[in-house]
Parts: sequence; structure tokens; C-alpha cells
Amino acid sequence: MTSMTARLRAIPTWQVTLGFALLGLGFLIAAQLAAEGPRVRYTTQERSPLIETATQLQKRQDELKARILDLREQIQGTEHAGEGSAELVRQLNDQLQEARIAAGLIPLTGTGIVLQLEDSQEPVGPGADQADYLVGARDLRSIVEELWAAGAEAIAINGERITPTSAVIDVGPSILVNAAYLAGPYQITALGPEDLYSRLSGSMGFVDLIRTRAQGFGIQVSIAEPEAVDIPAFAGTVTLRYARPEPSAQASP
Amino acid sequence: MRRRRNQLTIAAVTFLLGVLVVLQLRTQASSAAFAGLSSQDLTVLVANLDDRNDQLRTEVATLERELGVLAQNTERGDVSVDELRADLRRVRLYAGIDPAMGQGVAVTVRGPIDGTGIEDLVNELRNAGAEAMAIDDIRLVPGVVAIGAPGAVTLGSTALEDPFTLNAIGAADKLTGSLARPGGIIAQLSATQPEVTVEVTPLERIAVPATDRQLVPSHGHPRL
Repeated sequence: MTSMTARLRAIPTWQVTLGFALLGLGFLIAAQLAAEGPRVRYTTQERSPLIETATQLQKRQDELKARILDLREQIQGTEHAGEGSAELVRQLNDQLQEARIAAGLIPLTGTGIVLQLEDSQEPVGPGADQADYLVGARDLRSIVEELWAAGAEAIAINGERITPTSAVIDVGPSILVNAAYLAGPYQITALGPEDLYSRLSGSMGFVDLIRTRAQGFGIQVSIAEPEAVDIPAFAGTVTLRYARPEPSAQASP
Repeated sequence: MRRRRNQLTIAAVTFLLGVLVVLQLRTQASSAAFAGLSSQDLTVLVANLDDRNDQLRTEVATLERELGVLAQNTERGDVSVDELRADLRRVRLYAGIDPAMGQGVAVTVRGPIDGTGIEDLVNELRNAGAEAMAIDDIRLVPGVVAIGAPGAVTLGSTALEDPFTLNAIGAADKLTGSLARPGGIIAQLSATQPEVTVEVTPLERIAVPATDRQLVPSHGHPRL
């Protein structure tokens, strides 16, 4: 035993580092191969072009969202460049910043909580519906509703900001939020007062939800209270096609 | 010399490790959302993605035009007051700070509906492209939710009356079609809450008031 410890000590640290790195490397190569495997096996001839198209469209969507965020930043920068030139411009810029925060166009940081929901690992009972054992859009919506009621001020699901026009719907086993298809585990991040968690857990609706979904079907719910939570900006369209401002009530200045 | 070679080896392995981590994460991210979907689901998904990407493209075009005008004005030394005002109107309208007007539907709900039923209705309308909504003159913005048992629903801090009217601005035919489709939300409601009736009226002109809520968070601040 003593000689073993002595031998271990004799190994230079770089060898230990290298050893660990190689271990990680091996694991990742295996994981990569495993991840490639089932996809190829499951893909039928009919589905494969559809998955290809969907993946491309999703990639294009990510690019468009990045472009939107970039353009908004540039516009904000240009608008601020005129600052100091006139009191009116300064006022308009202040109002714009406030409106953008209200619309969810500005990323936020502050106190809050993160809830994670994962599909059940429990076996589906005889005669039971398998869908009940999966996290669905209804689950996410219920949590979001309870969080708002508990005093949350900004919410995002897997990086998708919840805005006045956000819908959360099931499409097969994945969930559509804004324009993005999300897969589990689902992380709901909420910014709010410091006692947001105790307010949430004190709500009847939330307790009911946990009882029916977590205890009833084994949906895995975990809650974290980090020092601070980050809420991303909404990277979608805010240009309305049918709604117009009421002529009598224009923005003030 | 030997030490140097060790460091190089470690550097090479760590680099490879990093590449593989990223690759692995990408693989999982791209396939996870589409794994396990049937051909039918995938067809819906592709159509949906295509449609939403078009909306994003339109937004990109709008922003590019806006930036172009702003940049031109700056170059000429002009102040872009008109552009700032237009931008402000657009964002305030979206956020619910200003009242809105446009075509849409008036949805009248009678009977003891529960909070979940109302939220399902609202969610369905949003999915069909509703741009601004209000229930009995309370603008629906983030933070305003219908909660409670059948017949005892509160919206924010207001107790909801029976009947109540949900006004939604958007493409009237699309909103009506999405609510009334077979197996849609109205059909689901009449199965689960049979005492509730939902009446949808398409209107050419519908008004939705501004919110009276403070929408700027007091517990967070912009992340730079």
C-alpha cells in the first residue's frame, strides 16, 4: 500500500493531466460515435430528407436571429450617436430603451430561479398514455403561468424569451416556443424578487402541478436558485402587421 | 526540451478534446429536437420553420432599412427624430404600452371556465398570430395570467366576470379558423368543460387598450 502511494507520487503531474485528458477524449469519441449511430439507424428513406431540411431551416433560423440581434445593437448604437445633440433626441432614446426593456429586446440579469423539467424515467403503466410521461407544452405553460403569478418579471425557456406574442405548443414530442423547436431537458429561467421561490412553492397551483406531474407520472422537476440569472433578449419580429397604434394615443413627444 | 514536448502533447490532446466536446454538443443540439418525430410531425415542423423564418427575414429587412436611414442621417449630420419616433411607436405597440387597433376577433366566453382553459385559448390565438390581446379591457402582457378554479378566475388582481370577452388583433380568418378547427381548442373545451360556450366573431376593427402594468423589471437590470 505504501509503495503504491510512493509510486503514484513518483508519476509526474503532466502524466496525470495527460491521463485524464485521454480518458475524457476516449469518452467523447465513444459518445460521438454513439450519437451518430442511432440517428443513421432510425432514419428511414422517407424521413431523412425531411430531417435534413428541418436541420437546415433551424440553422438558417439561428443565423437570422443572430443577424436580428446584431442589427438591433447597431441601430441602438447609431441612435445613441446623436445623443447630446438635442434634449428631444436624448428623451426619445431614454423612452426607446425603456420600451425595449418592456418588449423583451434587452437581455437582463438579476435575482431569480431556474426550473428544470425532464421526461419521466418510470415505466409506462398498463393502459396508460405514454404522452403523460413526457414533458409537454402544457407543463411548460403551467410553470410559466405560476411563475408570472408568483411575481416573475422576465422568463425564458431554453434561451427563448417569453414575450407578449409567445406561444408554447406541442409538435410531436418536441415543443415550439416562439420560432424555435426545443427538446428536453427544459430549463425555465425566471427573473424576479428574492423570495420568488418561496412564493412559487406556496402557490396551490404549483403544488397541484408537482403532485399530478412529478408524483403522478415521474416527471423530473428540479429547482435551482443561483446568485443571479441571465435572461436573453427576444430575437424575433416585433413588427406587427395587423395592429396599428390608436390615432388618439400616440407616443408622447 | 523534454518538458516542452510534454506540454506540446498535453496541448494537442486538450485541443482535440475541445473540438470533440463542441462536436458532441452540436450533434446533440441539432438532432435532439427532431429525433423521434414521425414523417407527419416533420412535415408540420418544416412548414412551420419555413413560415417563421420568413417572418424573421422580414424583421431583418425592416431593421436593415432602419439602420440604413439612420446611418445616412448621421453621415449628413441630421438628427433622426422621425426614425426614433417610428421605432418607439413600433416597440411600444408590440410591448403593450400603447393601445392598438386593427382587424381581429372578439371571443365571448360564457360559463364556469377555469384559468387553464383561458390560458389555452390565449395560447392558441398567439400561435395563430394574434398580435395584441385584451380580456375585458385588460391588456394581456407578460405577467398577466388567468388563474383559478372554474367560475373563480382572476386575471392579474381582477376577478373575471361571466361572460367575458377576449379581443384579439390579427388576421381575422386565421384566428377564427384556428379556434374553430376540428379537434381545436373550442372542441377540446366543449369536451372537458361542457358548460362553457365560446363564441367567435370576426371583426374588421377591434380596439385593445394599453396595459397599466409597469413592464420594466425592478429586480433586474440590462446585461451588457
